[in-house]
Amino acid sequence: MKTRSITINVNGVAHSLNVAVNRTLLQVLRDDLKMPETKYGCGTGECGACTVILDGKKSILSCLTLAATMDGANITTVAGLEKDGKLNPVQEAFVSEHAIQCGYCTPGMVMKSVTILAKNPKPTEEEIRRELEGNICRCTGYVKIVEAIQKASEVMAST
Amino acid sequence: MSEFAVIGKRIPKIDAKAKVTGRAQYAADLYFPGMLYGKIVRCMKYAHAKVTKLDLSEAARMPGVVKVLGPKDVTQKGYNTGVLDIMVPEAAGKLLGDIEDQVLFTDHVKHQGDAIAGIIARTEEQAERAAEKIAVEYEPLPVYLTAEESMQPDAVQFTPLKPGNFAFQLPAEMFPNNSYGWGDAEAEMKNADLVIENSFYTPKCKQCQMEPHAYVGYYDDQGRINCWTSTQMPKCVHAKIARLFELPMSRVKINQTTVGGGFGGRLGMIGEPEACAMAMAVPGRHVKVEYLREEDWIASESRHPGNYRMKMGFKNDGTPVSCQANWTANRGAYYTHASGTNFTMGAWLVGMYKFGALSYKAKAYYTNVAPCGAFRAYGNPQTNVAMEQTIDDMCAKLGLDPVEWRIKWAKGIGDDTWILGFKYPSAALVQCLQQGAEAIGWKEKRAKYANQTGTKRRGIGVSVMNHTSGAFPMLLEHTTCTVKLNEDATAEVITSCSDLGTGAHTSLKQIAAETLGFGLDEIHMLVGDSDAAGFDIGAHASRTLYVGGGAVKAACEDVKKQLFERAAIQLEANVDDLDMKDKKIFVKGSPDKSIDVKTITSLGVYNFIDPATGKTVGTPGQIQGYASHFPPHHSPPLAACFMEVEVDIETGAVETLESIMAYDIGRAIHPPSCEGQNEGAVQQGIGHALMEEIYYDKNGLCLNSNFTDYKMPGPCDMPKFKNILVEEPDPFGPYGAKSAGEGALANPPGAVLNAIRNAIGVMSLDVPATPEKILKAIKEKGIK
Repeated sequence: MKTRSITINVNGVAHSLNVAVNRTLLQVLRDDLKMPETKYGCGTGECGACTVILDGKKSILSCLTLAATMDGANITTVAGLEKDGKLNPVQEAFVSEHAIQCGYCTPGMVMKSVTILAKNPKPTEEEIRRELEGNICRCTGYVKIVEAIQKASEVMAST
Repeated sequence: MSEFAVIGKRIPKIDAKAKVTGRAQYAADLYFPGMLYGKIVRCMKYAHAKVTKLDLSEAARMPGVVKVLGPKDVTQKGYNTGVLDIMVPEAAGKLLGDIEDQVLFTDHVKHQGDAIAGIIARTEEQAERAAEKIAVEYEPLPVYLTAEESMQPDAVQFTPLKPGNFAFQLPAEMFPNNSYGWGDAEAEMKNADLVIENSFYTPKCKQCQMEPHAYVGYYDDQGRINCWTSTQMPKCVHAKIARLFELPMSRVKINQTTVGGGFGGRLGMIGEPEACAMAMAVPGRHVKVEYLREEDWIASESRHPGNYRMKMGFKNDGTPVSCQANWTANRGAYYTHASGTNFTMGAWLVGMYKFGALSYKAKAYYTNVAPCGAFRAYGNPQTNVAMEQTIDDMCAKLGLDPVEWRIKWAKGIGDDTWILGFKYPSAALVQCLQQGAEAIGWKEKRAKYANQTGTKRRGIGVSVMNHTSGAFPMLLEHTTCTVKLNEDATAEVITSCSDLGTGAHTSLKQIAAETLGFGLDEIHMLVGDSDAAGFDIGAHASRTLYVGGGAVKAACEDVKKQLFERAAIQLEANVDDLDMKDKKIFVKGSPDKSIDVKTITSLGVYNFIDPATGKTVGTPGQIQGYASHFPPHHSPPLAACFMEVEVDIETGAVETLESIMAYDIGRAIHPPSCEGQNEGAVQQGIGHALMEEIYYDKNGLCLNSNFTDYKMPGPCDMPKFKNILVEEPDPFGPYGAKSAGEGALANPPGAVLNAIRNAIGVMSLDVPATPEKILKAIKEKGIK
């Protein structure tokens, strides 16, 4: 398998890697960098569990992204959201609104939610639901997840 | 002001922070130095075939390959991934026909995805590449997808132990005439004014827990097999792995990792046998086995599909006279849960209504699809589809109100539960029905939706359910708990109770804090370690809070008793005269005569002889409380689900608009967890009614083993939802609690289908009620 040298920045730390061109970003994060906070749910871009943020604004599916194409990219995983030991407001809201059950979709769901609110700080419930269509949760019926995003939106507006 | 300090409080879940930061560790998240990767090689081409040749030599020479394993390289002892065989007495197990018909790396492929070999390599990719080099030849066998096909006399036999591929029926020795129920249903049926009989098909659905199955196995230098798994049942897996590999249990350790959802999908063993077999082949090396989503789908268990023939008879005033139900299941390739689910399906029927007589019969036949097993609510949704639609059909024919009829004829306190001979100790279904009807505007909407015209027509439906809190007395119910007090008067609560994301560990901690009178941050839950904790049957039958909570409460009461006994000595008082507040034990009426709990626990550990007196102060011995708890009942929760839908008669599409789950919870220990269970269950129930079914082609190859082709309700498919938790404390549950969890998935299907019926007057005999089926029914009925 051909390889390519890349440098990717994950949560503020630069990693210079020689990656096989068929490796996905998810595989590189989990298996090579041993950062398991980003989850494998389907491997085919259907469930959103592997969602990470590219260059601080765009949510991408790391299972569908070839690592070789990520040279120079800034990737944020859910482990990179805390600042000075304090949870991101979206994380805070997922905890306070009890939006977490088994927790396996949570990292991807939180990353997606961060980008939803970055794009649209005051989304309607319908807008939130539409944006979440690519992130599957089998535990919650999305009820408390939607409430958590609404709560985070309120908190972020008032601070 | 609540009578409780922490029960009923909306505290953050104890695992929420770890999960929201990505620090919670699921099995696939574990890494060990020198860890190898195991790949289970599966037959993907055939659903039924004999392996005629298996040559692993080329695979063994592939880069990075450490070991290849065929059937000859591993134990060929039979096993059963289900757990019913260890939950019933041996004699009952024999009658129920439980058998061990599975084997590691089979040469008789009985469903697509059956495992035929294993490969261990340095990386996952190397293992996958090597798997492609296995030389295997098959002799294809006829594929049986339904009971009707596999019961044919000339059919290939799945196992010599079940002639005719007839896996299960209710044994006559335990169920006279192979029937569960009461009275003479056939004779009583003749007294009915109205008899309704239909055959319903209910689908094979997948649990779709978000974490695919994953394991790490490790055979250590003491000759112990260690397995990290997100099983729902660590102690049953402990026993079953020991049995399979013929090891004493002291040489097996199960580490339960964070569980990424269960819904029955991790009930019993799944890939633990393969993962442990691979680890035993490379002692001293960790082996990680991760299922792909597709593997999880085709190789692990799902809900039983089958045909439900439902016959009910009523008097003209609605009096339920008789019910005769016959269930025929397409059971899948192995025995696993054949006895359990196919019994409980009838049990949920038995527990619901006051029929004059009732008979439930079940037959289950092997078929060439993934084995059917446990899926949340364990047979209850299937029964709900047939039972609740028939009730509404009767109400429509007799001009009765479905809510009023259910209030009148549903079982309640003093009636037999799903286990005949056990009476409902609590029941708040009437309140559930009344409060739910009020909240959704039942009367107004039923009137409003009569005689609609136009393309989009609305309907409103109701469905009720009974479930259980633990499986006693059908199955063993047992949880142990040890509570160890540290010298600073904090506590370690040690159990094997599982938390599948339900909030069970949080709720158990609340029970411990409430019972001990300690603060929440003074208690730690030690879970997931089969060495440290005693027996617990595992998470099934909605039992963890009810049985596990009972164990935690009893162990904490044991601690408290010991504290009071020691305080009585110190205070020179009678135990009965003592009380405790703010971690101080005092003589009632004389609060000054008191001792700190911390003084007692400290003296228990640091107990010295006073050089001046030559005597010790306080009672020596670190305090540990213990309970081995067998619950006396199964306190069934009941619930009413209301659903409003809109049916497009041009496309057949059904939209769910509003839903209410009014749930008889007994006591909500951690209300957000109870709500969360209902919210997720309604999502799965809507999926069951409208969308979800695993499809196979005529060769038994799965057509939709992924989230695109197997559609589940997404965020935009969910109705506006309201929870109603009716709290009428149960006499047996810890602090009055009954189970949440499974039950709320039982009745949304009936509610959705009854709402469709209300909108367009069509009963759904074939579930899921997809737009194609609805449209077909609309055309057949000539609805315009």
